[in-house]
Amino acid sequence: MTGRVTPLALSILAVAGWAVSLGVLLARPELFLVALPGVLVLATLGRRASRPACSIAHRISSDRLFEGDSLTVTVTVGARAPVALVELSGPLPPGVVLGSGRPRALMTLREGDTGEWSYDVRFPRRGVHDLGAVAVRVRDRLGLRTWEYRHVDPMAVRVYPRIVPLRSLPRPFHTQPSVGDYVSSALGEGIEPGDVRQFAPGDRIKQVNWRASLRLGQLYVTQRHRERNADVVLMLDTLAEVGAPPETTLDQGVRAAASLATAYLARKDRVGLITYGGVLSWVRPGSGPVQYERLADGLVRADVVFTYVAKDLQRVPPRVLSPQALVLAITPLLDRRFAKAVLDLAARGFDVVVLVVSPVAVTRAAIPPSPTDDLAGRLWDLERRADLTELRRHGLPVLEWRPPEPLEAALVAVPRRRARLASAG
Amino acid sequence: MTRPLAAAAAGVLFLLLRLTTPAPPVIVVGLLAVALSAVAIAATWRWAATSAAALFLIGYATALGIESRPVDVGAALGFGLALLLLLGAVDLSARARGAILHGRVVGATLGRFLGLGVGALAAALLAMTLATVLATVLTSAAAPLLAAAGALAFVWSLAALVRRAAGPS
Repeated sequence: MTGRVTPLALSILAVAGWAVSLGVLLARPELFLVALPGVLVLATLGRRASRPACSIAHRISSDRLFEGDSLTVTVTVGARAPVALVELSGPLPPGVVLGSGRPRALMTLREGDTGEWSYDVRFPRRGVHDLGAVAVRVRDRLGLRTWEYRHVDPMAVRVYPRIVPLRSLPRPFHTQPSVGDYVSSALGEGIEPGDVRQFAPGDRIKQVNWRASLRLGQLYVTQRHRERNADVVLMLDTLAEVGAPPETTLDQGVRAAASLATAYLARKDRVGLITYGGVLSWVRPGSGPVQYERLADGLVRADVVFTYVAKDLQRVPPRVLSPQALVLAITPLLDRRFAKAVLDLAARGFDVVVLVVSPVAVTRAAIPPSPTDDLAGRLWDLERRADLTELRRHGLPVLEWRPPEPLEAALVAVPRRRARLASAG
Repeated sequence: MTRPLAAAAAGVLFLLLRLTTPAPPVIVVGLLAVALSAVAIAATWRWAATSAAALFLIGYATALGIESRPVDVGAALGFGLALLLLLGAVDLSARARGAILHGRVVGATLGRFLGLGVGALAAALLAMTLATVLATVLTSAAAPLLAAAGALAFVWSLAALVRRAAGPS
């Protein structure tokens, strides 16, 4: 706790000194009388001041939100002794928008009184925000001395990216043995009817196709296609971004990744995440709601970290980036190192789909339209088209997403049957 | 609520100046001080409030110099209290900027100033009695020097008090 004299005390000292000086110069006793209230006030500084006795507590209405959601911060002050004036500044981290109310409050409390105030904050961008500190400044009766301290009670708010429901998803080449939503060509347990064949010892009665059996006079069974799941790895480019927060290419990419992860997890697939940037990090593929939490935590922390070093994807363990996985590379293609890494993966036989978040659309949305900017945007767009054509020439399926167009519109463009690149590599 | 309080203090200060003397130089200084007070109240600048208080003091000293009246304890104390109120209200406005005022913050501040006024009145009466006694004892030749030395020592000791209070608690 830090105690100090306020600027008000210094102002009063200056005015009182000025009044006394003028009084001596002009020999007018009235000026000494003018200085008297100030002198009396300043004389109270000679007393030994007791430290403020107030307790602070604060709470938040939610610790997990989606982008654009709001929460309420409530701060409570309890006075064990009279508090002349307490100034409180509630948490308002950078990038957070004040909804209703105010994050600062001034209170005067009697002994045993409790004061409470609350305000709403909105989180336009994903991230982990700390709302754990309240700055407290207590003043003495005449406002000459203050004590300052920070009440810290760690409270982290996780703001998850917005999710849009998706129906059209790139279909993986390879499936895994676990049960999922992809109908395999192999026959076995499942619900999709496959072939009909003669009954053989060991077949179960419930597999008997009674209609065929009655027509042909022998027992026939219906075989079914197996239903499999797949490994999907979302590879997010965090090498560079453009645009204004909370609508940068990375923000859009993170939203796309979160939406894709949700859609694939709903299909019982195992979904993993690799953030490829200045820091290479990953989340091992898994399925279920807990896996979504893991992926969301990874996405919430995704940020651009500048580096000159191109990260080698061979450092990623095979259990994270399995050769059977569908790799969905989400990128604005601003840094050629990412394109190189994607081409490298494709050349190694990975099933890769590239989802390009158009930086042109994002940048043009962030700046006011002008003829020069429009021309520059069109030229940039042409240049990027050439880059995308180059990627497509290597056999990679490239989907271009131009926010604020819906992501679904970009995903619909994925060809149902994609050529495998393994041979091309 | 704190800004009207500061405006009222500035108004009282100008009124007291005007009541002391209607001389144009004093009125000009008073108007300048009111303008500076308005700036201080609008922008919640403490330095502007301090400067306005200093200007009001200059105006008041000039007015006293022009009009050779007997000592008016009430007016002088009122002037001093109004100066304090101006400084205090602008300071409170600066603190309350963008904040919610919870409970009776302004009421409690006004109450404290009233208490201070009563205390100041009692202290003034005591000081005037002491000064009258002292005036009969002191020789007229030594009085100005003693007053200057006393004022210097007084301001010095106040500054020392503030400095000591500013140290770590």
